[in-house]
Amino acid sequence: MHRLRPGSFAWLVLHELRVGSRNARRRARSLWFGLILLALFTGFGIMIALGLRDVPIAGGPALYTGALAASILLMSFMTTQALLRSQHTLYESGDLDLLLSAPLEPRTILRAKLCGIAASVVLSFTLLVLPFAIPIAIFGHPGLFGIPLLLAALSLTSACLGLAIMLGVVALAGPRAARTLGQILGALLGGAVFLVSQLMSNGGGGRRSAAMSLFNWLMAHRIGTGGIGALPGRAALGDPLAAALLLGGALILFAATGYAFGRSFLASYQKARMRLSRRRAATGPVARHFRAGLFGSMFAKEWRLLARDPALAFQIVLRLIYLAPIALAAFGRGGGPPLLPALAFASVLIAGQLVGSFAWLAVSAEDAPDLLTVAPIARRQVERAKLASAMAMAAPFGLILPAALALSSPLGALATVALTAAGGACAGLIEIKWQKPAPRKTFQRRRSGSMIAGILTLLATAFFGGIAALAVFLIG
Amino acid sequence: MAMTDSALRIRGLSKAFDKPVITGLDLEVAGGELYALLGPNGAGKTTTLRMVTGLTRPDAGSIHIFGIDALADPLAAKAVTAWLPDEPMLYDKLTPSEYLGFVAGLWQIPPAEAAPEAERLLKWLELWESRETRCETFSRGMKQKVALAGALIHRPRLLILDEPLTGLDAAMARAVKDALREAVDKGATVVVTTHILEVAERLADRIGIIGNGTLLAEGTLEELRAKAGSDKMTLEDAFIALTRSPG
Repeated sequence: MHRLRPGSFAWLVLHELRVGSRNARRRARSLWFGLILLALFTGFGIMIALGLRDVPIAGGPALYTGALAASILLMSFMTTQALLRSQHTLYESGDLDLLLSAPLEPRTILRAKLCGIAASVVLSFTLLVLPFAIPIAIFGHPGLFGIPLLLAALSLTSACLGLAIMLGVVALAGPRAARTLGQILGALLGGAVFLVSQLMSNGGGGRRSAAMSLFNWLMAHRIGTGGIGALPGRAALGDPLAAALLLGGALILFAATGYAFGRSFLASYQKARMRLSRRRAATGPVARHFRAGLFGSMFAKEWRLLARDPALAFQIVLRLIYLAPIALAAFGRGGGPPLLPALAFASVLIAGQLVGSFAWLAVSAEDAPDLLTVAPIARRQVERAKLASAMAMAAPFGLILPAALALSSPLGALATVALTAAGGACAGLIEIKWQKPAPRKTFQRRRSGSMIAGILTLLATAFFGGIAALAVFLIG
Repeated sequence: MAMTDSALRIRGLSKAFDKPVITGLDLEVAGGELYALLGPNGAGKTTTLRMVTGLTRPDAGSIHIFGIDALADPLAAKAVTAWLPDEPMLYDKLTPSEYLGFVAGLWQIPPAEAAPEAERLLKWLELWESRETRCETFSRGMKQKVALAGALIHRPRLLILDEPLTGLDAAMARAVKDALREAVDKGATVVVTTHILEVAERLADRIGIIGNGTLLAEGTLEELRAKAGSDKMTLEDAFIALTRSPG
């Protein structure tokens, strides 16, 4: 870094990359796990490469369309990440005050930030794609060296799109709402491909992956078989003109974004640093906030903290949307779905995950653990109150499927409610047992703190779900 | 249970992390006293207070709060104690009223008793107009006042504060100092650590100077001056003299 001119664009980019790599650094155990996984991927990639050594890989409509479908999917995930990173840059990164107070052009800072966003976006996909692509390229298919160029072009474009969407949200919704809306949009974009593919596969009568559904649709509409649509495929196979066009286009977009959004980025940041919470007029006495028992106080606190963090609440509900088709699919294969046992199984699984999520927020993500420690209440009592709060918050969701079940089998619904409660309690207890302090905003990454809790929760809820399904099946 | 008039009695307290932090500390604070604990950075002031409040388990020694053995019966000791650290223990998404409601719930104060006290504290600390605004919008001083209200809502007999004036402007600092003095006047006992020697000089009934994990000197300002060797010393001079040549 010392060889670069301090304050230059390259110097700032290097700073961004260094900070980004430190943010991404995990504990040694996770690092080793990642390295072993990478080595396995690479080994698997080499085996495939050796198998494909003498197999010609030639371009054609199907391959080009496949590459386009893969690029679209990658872009959707990359744009999601870029949007969330842009939101983080505007609202949570602590260094923009310092950078903007330095005698540097805001546009230069914005471009360096964009590079940081693009680098963080490309990293995760590089680790997934390149262990396969590079060995295949080395062993007889040098054209595939175009894949890293394609990834670079996609990540640059995604970074620009993510930032543009975020700045657009700030402009349209205002800085306070944009903070939450950015997260919700990110979660929606991430889930959109999954949900759309579910709808498409259900519409077609069979279950296909998102990529396959998209591929079939593109093939049917002859998109990607030639012309601009074939550019990603051509670039991935080493066509220098296609690679140059895509990368050049991405670089132009990158430069244009830096130029066009320089001023609005600064304005958005200044707005974002303003007061971000609504100031409510103070009226009436305070007595309504005081409750008699520990559970009442704890539930009120947990409920308010969740209700006032809509992005977090949305993430939790979105997870349920993902889980629902998976849970039903487990019973949906072959010979028509036995609907009632499937509903019972899904009820326990969904409620268990929900209680687990709420319990994690209440226990591991407690904002003021010292306050609870200095209070004259036994730790076990506090944990019981938190578990009860988590279960109470999940209860309205946990009763939806048993209510549907009750229309056909009231006794089955009763059994499902009992087992849903048992599964939920078990999930909550697992979170309490394997609690690891973490900030609420790391909810999405909470399993990096305790993977055991995640696995056990899934096993426990699946176990109780299985019993519920069996009970409903036997009750009839 | 009540074997002594001491509000806080510490005997032979020891704690080591990577290296010994507190070694055989003896300390006694009388009821109704405002006691300032001073010491250089890393002297073990915060560790001592965290052990008193039950946040850190000592390796050895005993802690009695109004005669209650805080290690044997921590819940009884906590019921009469309040802790206010330098970083307020708040929930940013809660309003001051809601926060006080939660703290009152933790200390199991009946709502009929806690709600009027909360109103009194909010008005007294000039938080009444902001009682329905989330703490996330508050300045550090405002947050510290909310935390102070939380510490006082259950009418603790022993109030322990770690650097309560850090980051406060003059008006806020005055409000907190007044609050502490008033709490003492109403019969509470206050133990406070501070780097601002003027606060200890003007506010404290007795001052303890801690260094190298033990109590180096203790007494009124006059007694400390005498121990340091001159009646005309400021507390700052006495503090430097005593911490430079322990014992």
